[in-house]
Amino acid sequence: MKPLIQVQNYSFTYMGTSRPAARNVNLEIGEGEIVILAGPSGCGKSTVLKSLNGLIPHLYSGSREGTVIVDGHDVAETQVSEVAKKVGFVFQNPENQIFMFSVERDVAFALENLGFPRDEIRRRVDWALDLMGIQRLARQAPHELSDGQRQRVAIAGVLAMTPKVLILDEPTSLLDPLTARELVLLVKRLHDELGITVLVVEHRLDLLAGIASRIIVMDRGTVAMDGSPREVLARKEALTIGVGVPTVTRLYGLLTDHGLNLGQAPLRMEELAEAVNRLVP
Amino acid sequence: MVGQQCFEVVAGMQWVSSGFIFRHMESPVHSLDPRTRLLFAVELFVLALVADSPLEVSIVSIVVVSLAIVAKIAKRLVRTMSFTAGFAVMILVINMLVGQPLVYSIVLAIRFIAIVGGTSLFFLTTSPDELEYVMKWFRLPQDMVFAFVTAVRFVPVLMLDATQIMDAQKSRGLEMQKGNFIKRIRNFIPVLVPLVVTAVIRSGELAEAMESRAYGAVKKPSSLYALRMRKRDWATGAISVMLLVVSLYYFLVIAPIG
Repeated sequence: MKPLIQVQNYSFTYMGTSRPAARNVNLEIGEGEIVILAGPSGCGKSTVLKSLNGLIPHLYSGSREGTVIVDGHDVAETQVSEVAKKVGFVFQNPENQIFMFSVERDVAFALENLGFPRDEIRRRVDWALDLMGIQRLARQAPHELSDGQRQRVAIAGVLAMTPKVLILDEPTSLLDPLTARELVLLVKRLHDELGITVLVVEHRLDLLAGIASRIIVMDRGTVAMDGSPREVLARKEALTIGVGVPTVTRLYGLLTDHGLNLGQAPLRMEELAEAVNRLVP
Repeated sequence: MVGQQCFEVVAGMQWVSSGFIFRHMESPVHSLDPRTRLLFAVELFVLALVADSPLEVSIVSIVVVSLAIVAKIAKRLVRTMSFTAGFAVMILVINMLVGQPLVYSIVLAIRFIAIVGGTSLFFLTTSPDELEYVMKWFRLPQDMVFAFVTAVRFVPVLMLDATQIMDAQKSRGLEMQKGNFIKRIRNFIPVLVPLVVTAVIRSGELAEAMESRAYGAVKKPSSLYALRMRKRDWATGAISVMLLVVSLYYFLVIAPIG
């Protein structure tokens, strides 16, 4: 099967800078994966994300090498609005991506821009609001919402375009722990129900590692590690590069160093508890 | 003490500004099509310009006030007007100083109040949403309409930014309410600079988000809602035009000032 996203020998240097923000990146992401993109600030995550939905090179100029192909289209050769229909991009701060005075009109924003007929817009808006569980907020103004609700509105706004890929840029950074947990469960549900491919950039992986099928770690503009969360997060390099390895996985590392044989690396507290339980007679 | 003063100034500003901000309400005026309300505002504007005796401008003002009462916004209109009254007095005084007759100066002052009142009537009863639709109906370019929408949409956001920056600067020792008038204005620079910087950064993020939501994909974007004139919108509009014609006839033909 052909992968949905193909990044080949991709490098990008922003105009006015000398150091490339992305260096010789190679990625293949298949349909239906949940992928975490991790790495320290300035490692090139944002550059890769923006290259996936066409903001680079259409909005940001600079020198570029290699190709980015999404769903069979070369992103650099396709209009951003065309790519937007395939790649839904939810930015870090939901405040700056809600434009309209009411929730439902904001969810309709992209559909209006694409010139959909009115009944189709209505149908899709209701569908997206329902999916995100915010139907009752339809008439609210954006400044009346909580951060978590605003995040959902932002996601509904891109889901209305029925994209194949959902990109979330640090979706939990502004949320309290409970709301963050709800959001992670929601992402999992969207993936299961829609079969949508999810690409999440995140620093704190305690919550997300459990639902991801794969984690890609970037460092200094290039891909440093790529594999299943269990495998990648248990490696020592994950910590030295500066990935927010889940506490439970770190504890597992320490215990293993002390000579305990706990089997495969855990991602959730329950898994470690079970492994320890098995050791104790 | 300074904190108290500061609080009073902010509270005062909010009291005045709340007179200009639309709030969702139910009234016979609010439920009309915004275009009918815009017609009212234009008619009142024309009447106020044509009226040229104290009696006539007073009649126009009374019409404005009664419409405000029907629209249940009389209190807020008074707030707006309290702000306008100062300008009206200024108009009165300046006209008298340059040697205009007293009656004429009074007409000018009241006319100013009537014009501002009639215009506020429209803006106080029209949601930003409706304004946007009216702008679209006038076929204004999409970029212009969108600039208006974002400007209004981000007022509360920028207000919050400003408060946070003010708090941050105050906690670093900036005393905003100290010194003479010039000094106080200069005190605002440490607030203004970061506010402009954050606004510029924000606009960059907005541009990214707009692109990602297919802004400008087609020449003529569609819309979730459309304005619809109902029977009563037509009827109210027609009646108001008839009243306008009658009033104009009275103002210009029956009671023209000599």
